[in-house]
Amino acid sequence: MIPLEMFLGLSAILFAIGAYGVLTKKNGIVVLMCIELMLNAANINFIAFAAFFNDVAGQVFVIMAIAVAAAEVAVGVAILLNLYKTSGTTDLEEINVLRW
Amino acid sequence: MNFVDIAWIIPLVPLAAFLLIGFFGHRTPEGGGYIAVGAAAIAFILSALVGYEVLSGTHGDFYETSVAWLTISEGVVLNFGLYLDNLAVLMMMFASFISMLIFIYSIGYMHDQGDRKRRYYTKVSLFLTAMLGLVMASNYLQMFIFWEIVGLCSYLLIGFWGFRHPKGDQASAAAASAAKKAFLVTRMGDVALLAGLFVLLNAFGSLDYSHMFSAAAIAQVDTSTLALGSLLIFGGVIGKSAQFPLHDWLPDAMEGPTTVSALIHAATMVKAGVYLTARSFPIFVQSTDVMLFIAIVGGVTAFYAATMALNNMNIKRVLAYSTLSQLGFMILALGAGGYLVAQGIADGTAVTGSKAFGYTAGVFHMMNHAFFKALLFLGAGSVIHAVGTEDMRKMGGLRKRMSITSITMLIGTLSIAGIPVFAGFWSKDFVLESVMVVAEGSGTAAAIFLLLYILALATAFMTAFYMFRLWYMTFGGEEGEASKHCHGESEKVMTYPLIVLSVFAALSGFLILFGFNQALTFNWAGPGSEFVVGGGGYEMLDVLDKIFTSPFAYLAIVVALAGFYAAYRMYNVRDVDPGRFNKDGESTLYQLLQRRYYFPQFYDAIALKLTYPIALGVEEVDRKAVDGTVDGIANSLTGGAQMLRRIQTGFVQTYAAFVVGGLLVLFAIIYLIGYIGGL
Repeated sequence: MIPLEMFLGLSAILFAIGAYGVLTKKNGIVVLMCIELMLNAANINFIAFAAFFNDVAGQVFVIMAIAVAAAEVAVGVAILLNLYKTSGTTDLEEINVLRW
Repeated sequence: MNFVDIAWIIPLVPLAAFLLIGFFGHRTPEGGGYIAVGAAAIAFILSALVGYEVLSGTHGDFYETSVAWLTISEGVVLNFGLYLDNLAVLMMMFASFISMLIFIYSIGYMHDQGDRKRRYYTKVSLFLTAMLGLVMASNYLQMFIFWEIVGLCSYLLIGFWGFRHPKGDQASAAAASAAKKAFLVTRMGDVALLAGLFVLLNAFGSLDYSHMFSAAAIAQVDTSTLALGSLLIFGGVIGKSAQFPLHDWLPDAMEGPTTVSALIHAATMVKAGVYLTARSFPIFVQSTDVMLFIAIVGGVTAFYAATMALNNMNIKRVLAYSTLSQLGFMILALGAGGYLVAQGIADGTAVTGSKAFGYTAGVFHMMNHAFFKALLFLGAGSVIHAVGTEDMRKMGGLRKRMSITSITMLIGTLSIAGIPVFAGFWSKDFVLESVMVVAEGSGTAAAIFLLLYILALATAFMTAFYMFRLWYMTFGGEEGEASKHCHGESEKVMTYPLIVLSVFAALSGFLILFGFNQALTFNWAGPGSEFVVGGGGYEMLDVLDKIFTSPFAYLAIVVALAGFYAAYRMYNVRDVDPGRFNKDGESTLYQLLQRRYYFPQFYDAIALKLTYPIALGVEEVDRKAVDGTVDGIANSLTGGAQMLRRIQTGFVQTYAAFVVGGLLVLFAIIYLIGYIGGL
């Protein structure tokens, strides 16, 4: 059996990659994708612990989280699409009309 | 049911009229005039019923009811209520009665004022409310509130013609400036009064009359504190009753409509100061010095104001100076009577009979004066209405054209001049008598009172002189240029109030003979039950005996007749030219009187030379120091904010970086704590 630490390590690596992307990428779509990465890192943790402890609650949480994330991405992409229509870019540093 | 139980309704009736006329007056005939008359009539009827009940002694010395209004600290409660004693009901009755007559008269006098009538009747109704509230108040604070409201009404009504005056812009400016002057000058007195209330509240822990006038409460207060409080309260009296040196607003107040002069500046509001002196008598009489001061202020004002009436050509101004002078008489009488009472308290001897008479004299003169001065002002108004000028040189010979006005005014003149059997004779004689009683004593004070008596006697002479001068210049002799435009007697709505008032001006003096004196007596049982002031009035025969056996009474009559005779020779027969005495108006004294002893200039000089530079300096400090500090604080805040707002970049990723960085730091701290704890 694959030990639990492997799953946790994978999850931590995924989360770090996602966080790095969120903090550094300029393209809004890429940032959204990185957020998904971070969410899925958390999901892997849930599944791993659920399997490890033989507890189905973790899986239920993950299904819930996937559903919510799908809806969230739909909203996020819609916002970005509208931003692209009005400002012609998805570059987050260009979108600064509400800045001081 | 007792009538006093519904006494609280009395001020609310004119208040209802005030609101009704204020909102709907323009839809009713005469701009709400009939509503005002009706409200005043109801107030008078109720006042008379309550007055009868209180004067007949149903409720003992006084009737009081009040509710707690403000609790300042443990045990110090300010109340709101009614305090009805003889003095209060007397004021209520004559204030509402004279108001009613003047409102009726106003319907004729103000008839052609168009839209302004609503404003006029609104203000006078508010005035009546406040005046009734003032005399019915159960404590000094409540009295002070209404005191300020009557001051406000006085200001509003003096400035009634403060814009679009029928006689042009200059008259408007004069009215507006007179209103401002009245407001500001009386305000100086009001500040003193308010300070006095603080002193007394601090000393007594209450401002209720019933508490403060009890001998037990007074005995617990330091006498110098009492004297200080008394003098400060008397400062308010000096302002409101226009005593020297704050008298100068009253002559200027004649810029208002004549009905207002009659109502506020002769019959009622200026009496508020005399009322307050009489009301505060139990506190004032604790010090002979205070009473001496009051008497001197009254005596000086009486004499000083009368001199200025001697050569004035404006019919209303003469009456205004006369009002000042008569108010001085009332204050003088109260001071003289109170001085003896104060002396009695100091010596521990009972003060009864003629020695306690000054209070009666002052209050009695206040009542009589309200009748005859209201009559004289309304008569003057009737004349002004008919001839369209206030200058007496342009009048004359109106006796034939305006017979009712001339006869009623003659009655008023006889009354104020102190010709026997008319009302003014009795009360003026009492005033002189009460001063003489003190002057008969010994010591410095007696000498001062003798001087005051001589001043008062000279005032009596001048009063008779200037009043008959006024009457002869207006009604006697040949017709002046303005008289020729006269359309004859005023309408009935104006003459009937004159007739009613002239009956009172002639006969109200007799009231003292029919037990009314009991109502005007000041009763006070001092510390130690054996000491009593006042204690019942005089019997009718005692009064007659007192007057007609005293040589001083005859002296007063002779002086009044001398004044009449001098005026008769100068202004009726005209065989003595008044110009002989004043170099045809060129003499220094004549100019001094014309210019009101340079008092207006004196006020102006204070304002320009003293107050204005101080105000400039204060403004400089305000702008540089105070505003500088405030602006500095504001500027440093906005400057700091300008710099700090750079942190808010507006980029989500920067914020996220802060969040992640912060989390990492937190984790590190928690880990470190756990590591150290684990050791």
